[in-house]
Amino acid sequence: MTVSAGLGYMLISLGPALSLFVSVIAKKPFLILTLLASMLFWLISLIVLSGAWRAFLPLKSALWWPYVILIITSVIFQEATRLIFWKLYKRLEVVLDAFAEEKFRTRLSWTDKMLIALAGGLGHGVAHAVFFCLSLLTPSFGPATFYADRCSRIPFFFVSAIISLGFTIIHTFSMVIAFNGYAEGKKPDQAMVPAVHMLAAAVTLINLAPGGCVVGVPLVCFMGAVTLYYCWQMVWRKLKDQQSRQRNSSDVHVS
Amino acid sequence: MERSVLDSLGVEIIGVMSPVSICMLLVVLLVSTLSPSSPAAVADSAASATSAATLVYAESPSDPPARRLVGALLNAAAFVALVAVATTLLVLLYYYRFTGFLRNYVRLSAFFVLASMGGSILLSVLRAIDLPLDAFSAIFLLFNLSAVGVPAVLSAAVPILLRQAYLVALAVIVAAWFARLPEWTTWTLLLALALYDLAAVLCPRGPLRVLVELASSRDEELPALVYESRPAGASVSNAVADLGSVELQPVEATPPNRANATQNSDPDLTIVEIESFDETSPLVSNEQPNLSNNDRLQPDIAPRRETGVERNQDISPSSSSSPSPVTTTDSEEFDTSRGIRLGLGDFVFYSVLVGRAAMYDLMTVYACYLAIIAGLGCTLILLSICRHALPALPISITLGIGFYFLTRLLLEPFVVGASANLATILWHRLNYAIAVFSIP
Repeated sequence: MTVSAGLGYMLISLGPALSLFVSVIAKKPFLILTLLASMLFWLISLIVLSGAWRAFLPLKSALWWPYVILIITSVIFQEATRLIFWKLYKRLEVVLDAFAEEKFRTRLSWTDKMLIALAGGLGHGVAHAVFFCLSLLTPSFGPATFYADRCSRIPFFFVSAIISLGFTIIHTFSMVIAFNGYAEGKKPDQAMVPAVHMLAAAVTLINLAPGGCVVGVPLVCFMGAVTLYYCWQMVWRKLKDQQSRQRNSSDVHVS
Repeated sequence: MERSVLDSLGVEIIGVMSPVSICMLLVVLLVSTLSPSSPAAVADSAASATSAATLVYAESPSDPPARRLVGALLNAAAFVALVAVATTLLVLLYYYRFTGFLRNYVRLSAFFVLASMGGSILLSVLRAIDLPLDAFSAIFLLFNLSAVGVPAVLSAAVPILLRQAYLVALAVIVAAWFARLPEWTTWTLLLALALYDLAAVLCPRGPLRVLVELASSRDEELPALVYESRPAGASVSNAVADLGSVELQPVEATPPNRANATQNSDPDLTIVEIESFDETSPLVSNEQPNLSNNDRLQPDIAPRRETGVERNQDISPSSSSSPSPVTTTDSEEFDTSRGIRLGLGDFVFYSVLVGRAAMYDLMTVYACYLAIIAGLGCTLILLSICRHALPALPISITLGIGFYFLTRLLLEPFVVGASANLATILWHRLNYAIAVFSIP
């Protein structure tokens, strides 16, 4: 039950990310580089953030409002990171487009752009999972498990694995939504991403209440599902558009 | 599916990064499997890890910081001096054309590393996972594995996949040994080696620079352990999915007229052309076709602009009765006909850094890994700009050490503080609980 339990928790939190990596990212070298860059970016932002918070930590566990401030600043900071990442990507896209024109006589297709966004989001998600779940999971490979006082029914490791699964999904797909929103200038998409992130982060605060994890953990998963659904709707819409456009252009071609 | 720019961009960089990542992953797994859990065992292992790197001063956790710092600096200085002397010796031997001797020496040391150090690591792994294995089959396996390694490390006739596997294995074994060094010595040693690397490659009369220029002027292989990532031939699209698909073809099977690929309609070959030649000067591709049609085993076609990193390490583990000299030579060079090459020493010291980080926490491992990979990426980008070979250690090691301490000092309290809102526990308490439970 020890190593297998640890591996199980790991796979719960990182399994979807792993399958995304193997099936999509690993086949394209550039996406791997994007993934690594995005992870590094997230890490740097986290280091800067923790440097700013260093003086106030560790928090007294009795009070709850410092956690609220901590979470709000973190989310704002991460969204700022996303914006910077987008700005950098925008510059890179020009170079990439030029390169693709020269070599392949085509520009980047919209699926390519979405793949890049997916890789960037996966980088954020995996980085989040590594820091907020995997780093806490190491003891779970040992011969014991751990129950926290305020969540006495579910093992602590299991809670953090599920929460990190939810956040990985949220991070991964909200990056796709955000990039698409920025590219097309859609305000709802742009606003939706920070809102979901903030809401999901706020939901984890429910865990602070005694027995709160019974409510909080499913809510985080629900937020993840919402993000996934929204992203799917968006991609499906674009796919439809693309298909009809292609059909139109081929009609024109025939006539 | 249509080919896009995403498929082809960065194949070479990934070709170097994936073996480095595999090496680091293996070292981290080894270190975390073998790391002793009780303090007594820690002291025990520290005592047994006397080697060339702890010649001057044997660090003990009870010493005051000042003494430890001075001792660690002395250790690092002694080790770097040793490395410098060994490298100079190697350059001298190479200069006077003792190439056969050098090659045999490298083979011998590869055998010893695989057999003695690899054997001892194998033994402790078997012990750690409680796997019984009788002595006869262990020795039989070990001897066979090491014997195959002897031709594999230098000869070009061995399939490239096997060769790369052996080089990574050698790097893992040596790095696992180095990871047993005491903490302060490790850090100072890594920094000192990064500085040495910088000097030896970039100074006009640096030994490694002399060696690589000598090798390129003689148009022959370096008599050293160098990992080469071949530009992926026909299998660009799944080049990254697994290392093997790229490297399956042996050296002589490289398409002889790859430079003609520009005219070739095959999209795969076009991509190879883009990857391997576009970043280099046009004069390379001009003289490539006629030269490369020769039936040479090693198409040393393009004028190689290279500078290497070359390093000899002498590790004499006290646990083995006879000191086994190890030659780990590393050099990084940019060779247009064969993609990027990275010295084995870079593999070793990257992995040492990550292995040392693995003894602290998973977070530091992750941060160090990203920093090293980022440094490697920077070096590779610089390489395509500078066109002459560069030391691979300084940027990566500096970034790695920086990120390690940043993570350790800043990040951990933050992450633990933020994660605590999951269930309001503190890390110490968790550790305490685990410690209580794990006492048998």
